[in-house]
Amino acid sequence: MATLLRSAVLNPEAYRTVRAAGGDTPSKTGSFRSLAPRLDSLNGKTIYLVDTGFGGSGKFLDQVQAWFAEHMPSVKTVRRRKTGNIFRDDTKDLWAEIKEKGQAAILGVAG
Amino acid sequence: MPHLRFTFVKSPVWGKTADQLRHDVVEGTDPITGKPVMQEVVSELTTPVSEEDKTSRTIPQSAGPDHFGPDTAENLQKLFREKGMTDYLPIVLPTEEKVDAMLKATSHKPDEIVGKISPTPGVYEYWSYSVRQVAVNAVMAGADPKYFPVILAIAAADKESISSSDNSFAEAVVINGPIRDEIGLNYGIGALGPFSRANATIGRAYTLLSINAGNCGKVGETYMGVIGNPMNYANIVIAENEKESPWQPFSVRHGFKPDESVVSIFEGWGVISAKNSKFAVWQKDMNFAQELKNIFDDQDQLFGGVAILSPAVANYVKDEGYDSVEKLTDWLYKSPDEPRSHFFSKTQINVLVTGSSNNLYWDYGGMRYVKSISVDQWR
Repeated sequence: MATLLRSAVLNPEAYRTVRAAGGDTPSKTGSFRSLAPRLDSLNGKTIYLVDTGFGGSGKFLDQVQAWFAEHMPSVKTVRRRKTGNIFRDDTKDLWAEIKEKGQAAILGVAG
Repeated sequence: MPHLRFTFVKSPVWGKTADQLRHDVVEGTDPITGKPVMQEVVSELTTPVSEEDKTSRTIPQSAGPDHFGPDTAENLQKLFREKGMTDYLPIVLPTEEKVDAMLKATSHKPDEIVGKISPTPGVYEYWSYSVRQVAVNAVMAGADPKYFPVILAIAAADKESISSSDNSFAEAVVINGPIRDEIGLNYGIGALGPFSRANATIGRAYTLLSINAGNCGKVGETYMGVIGNPMNYANIVIAENEKESPWQPFSVRHGFKPDESVVSIFEGWGVISAKNSKFAVWQKDMNFAQELKNIFDDQDQLFGGVAILSPAVANYVKDEGYDSVEKLTDWLYKSPDEPRSHFFSKTQINVLVTGSSNNLYWDYGGMRYVKSISVDQWR
């Protein structure tokens, strides 16, 4: 018959938010901001199609753009290639441009 | 962003024609939800955001209870396995006694934060971990407490050993300095194989730490390796054979003193015997430097190239005129008669020495150097 371990065992899992060395509270890195409000409709809106730089991303978004032109011609689509490393944030002012001139963005795609 | 809106598409995406992309991907269905891709995209842009997602917040800090049990050893092994907290090999159950013994092997306090790991930085959130949490994983791997400063140094590198990438990447740990002999790391016959408790369990601890403290290796969620990689079990632990190497240890070439103990992390595809290459040819007059160059020039450029030479091969190369690694990598990067180099930078070429000298074999791989961490600061 199996016997109970004399003591319990410890959980190996880590904190699910980033803690600074010596700090008890999570840093801002682990916080989430509110999602952007959604649009009532896409009619007449400008949607940015952002190529992340991953393999196939550009050609995939070409077809997304073609789909909008065919099925939702009132939507204006703008294609942009995110600058910088494919795993990192944009290095220029793409997000500011989208905020100023667009109403929504679709980022794609990985692999 | 727990509720960030995604539409998944049928992969792979790259390599498809425009027609295939249009019909199979854009006009196809989301393989997770089964809904038409573009219908889902439009819905995600127009369906109002929930009240919860309008609020800035943090996700819960704790991964669960501090303890499991008491229960039978069989049930606890099963529980750890079912929770995805192992590598599916039996573990050493992390009792308080064993974890306490591990904690005594460092001067650092149990609650001190050691570092953070993400399955792919920039894509997944980081999880952070304390000295105690590293100790729990070290116990589970079967490590002796005297290995703990090495495992803590690896943990302090903030580098996942199991990437979420569908490439099935692998990780290597190079160990230099006096710690190698202090804890019995193998750098002789079969140096990269399962022939030493220190090599085996230090490497395994890195994998368990990445799974449990870095959220790595959750198949379908944080792991998408198409083929998988057997080197993920215990990584590639390379204690350099400094005694028989003709060159300075790797750590010394990166600014550390010879009497400092150091771990250095590499990432990439993994390593394989050079005899697998068409360029490795036995000949009357061996020219290992040229062989190295031919092989490196045939490799993918993403990670560059690392050569793991046996001391016998390293000394051959030295006798060919390369009395320093720098001289060798300069030539490997770009010989005087080449119009341009194959790799982007000299730093993409690394040379290590380990193993025995009973034959002229060596390994190579597409792996890049990431960073080095002092082991001594974690004693």
